[in-house]
Amino acid sequence: MKRLLSVALGIVTSIGGFLEIGSITTAAQAGADYRYQLIWAVLLGAICIALLIEMSGRFAAVSKHTIADAVRERFGVHFFLVPLFLLCFVSILVLAAEIGGVAVAIEMITGIHFPVWALPVGLLAWGLLWYGTFSIIENGITLLGLITIAFLIAALQLGPDWHALVAGIAPSLPAKQPSHYWFIAVSILGASVSPYLFYFYSAGAIEEEWDESYLGSNRLVAGAGMGFGGFLNVAVLVVAALVLAPRGISVDKYQQLPLLLSSPWGRIGLGVFALSLFVTCIGATTEIALALAYQIAQGFGWNWGEDLEPSGDARFSLTYTIVLLLATLLVAIGIDPLKLTTLSMALTAASLPVAIIPFLVLMNDRRYLGEHTNGWLGNLSILVVCVLASVVAIVSIPLEIGGGS
Amino acid sequence: MRVHLVRDVLDKQLLDISGQNAGKVDGIVLETRPGALMVVRYIEVGPITLARRINRRLGDWVAQLDARFGEGRGVAIRFPFARVQLESPSLRIDVSAASTPIMAFERWLRRVVVRHIPWS
Repeated sequence: MKRLLSVALGIVTSIGGFLEIGSITTAAQAGADYRYQLIWAVLLGAICIALLIEMSGRFAAVSKHTIADAVRERFGVHFFLVPLFLLCFVSILVLAAEIGGVAVAIEMITGIHFPVWALPVGLLAWGLLWYGTFSIIENGITLLGLITIAFLIAALQLGPDWHALVAGIAPSLPAKQPSHYWFIAVSILGASVSPYLFYFYSAGAIEEEWDESYLGSNRLVAGAGMGFGGFLNVAVLVVAALVLAPRGISVDKYQQLPLLLSSPWGRIGLGVFALSLFVTCIGATTEIALALAYQIAQGFGWNWGEDLEPSGDARFSLTYTIVLLLATLLVAIGIDPLKLTTLSMALTAASLPVAIIPFLVLMNDRRYLGEHTNGWLGNLSILVVCVLASVVAIVSIPLEIGGGS
Repeated sequence: MRVHLVRDVLDKQLLDISGQNAGKVDGIVLETRPGALMVVRYIEVGPITLARRINRRLGDWVAQLDARFGEGRGVAIRFPFARVQLESPSLRIDVSAASTPIMAFERWLRRVVVRHIPWS
């Protein structure tokens, strides 16, 4: 019964924690610019992250290693430092985007410009990490994220064109601005397949002392949680296609985002959108800061654990403090959260092979996983998607920045 | 038992006698003797050895910095290999990390930073 409750909680928190500034923005841009044509990218991202989350949980449960720990152990310190530096750089940008998301949510309610809120938001996230526990971060905040079901309700209420929606499941070439189309497609993948998610998940599995008896529930949580989360992301795209596309609004200012819910529901919609953005982004902020601290602490063999007092893992606690401070400063100096989000999601996609390929090597190493190594289909599908996403991102980022089409 | 030094020792997680994380095995010290096989003498842990593996000059700089923290500092932290136990998935040493320089930076942070933050 206890295990059943834990699985249910895992699924619910995965759904509640799926959306954040990256997935909301990229899905909204996709719906606004290409209506239902990019649904395939959202679904592909959800399938990939479900597979990767299942793998990271399986890896931790069977090998008793976190991913960062095993990458250092298996490939040595020189190799370990490459993904560490790259992922730290990209993750700090994503972290800044999430802090920006919370600050923008407060701006939507108060009318006070977002940079003013950067420091209070950074402090709030730091306070949750410093004084909170893993359970508060993983269960408490992400449970509140269930408010994002509002997007699903709005999508159903607005009445999508089901025929066009189903047609969007199959990838197709765009009629206009192909480089922008592919840029959004890889940004969607970058927002969904964020490496911090599986670093966080594997560390959580070790903190909760998973063993092989958890493999079934891990599969269920990853599949159902990420699957339903993916549907919520599709719902954001559908709402954008129904609300923004007919008015010719392309999401190029963050102030346009609340229209997704304020258009169908008025002032209540604005409040629900702001609250959704606040809760999901503060949840993602704490998870990314923790994931970065996990990666560094596990790679260098320090004491780590969100459930330990900061005096018991001072280096770990100071690490998340520093990354939070750096990201907060980026928002405080006024960098546009929307531009930061779009760029950081595309950069995440570009850097995917660096994070994913070593992980896939580990997932095929019998010394770590015994009989639980990956099958060829899982390996191939993740590898192809990540490498393609990376190549397309590397090509489309300069074109997007240069304004080419 | 056959031990592969790079696979089974180098970069492995080290635990102390109470199961606390005590860093990674950052280096292995071998002793060569004329006409005899090499003998594994010590494992090394800590930023000086780690930095030296990345770059010699960086290692020397870290050692100079570390030396400022007091007497006996500024050199690599070593444990006799004979006192290291292989306990998959980690290695274990038979001392408390708290009593060694491994935790010096952690202790310094605790004393200088964490202690001054309310309710920590």
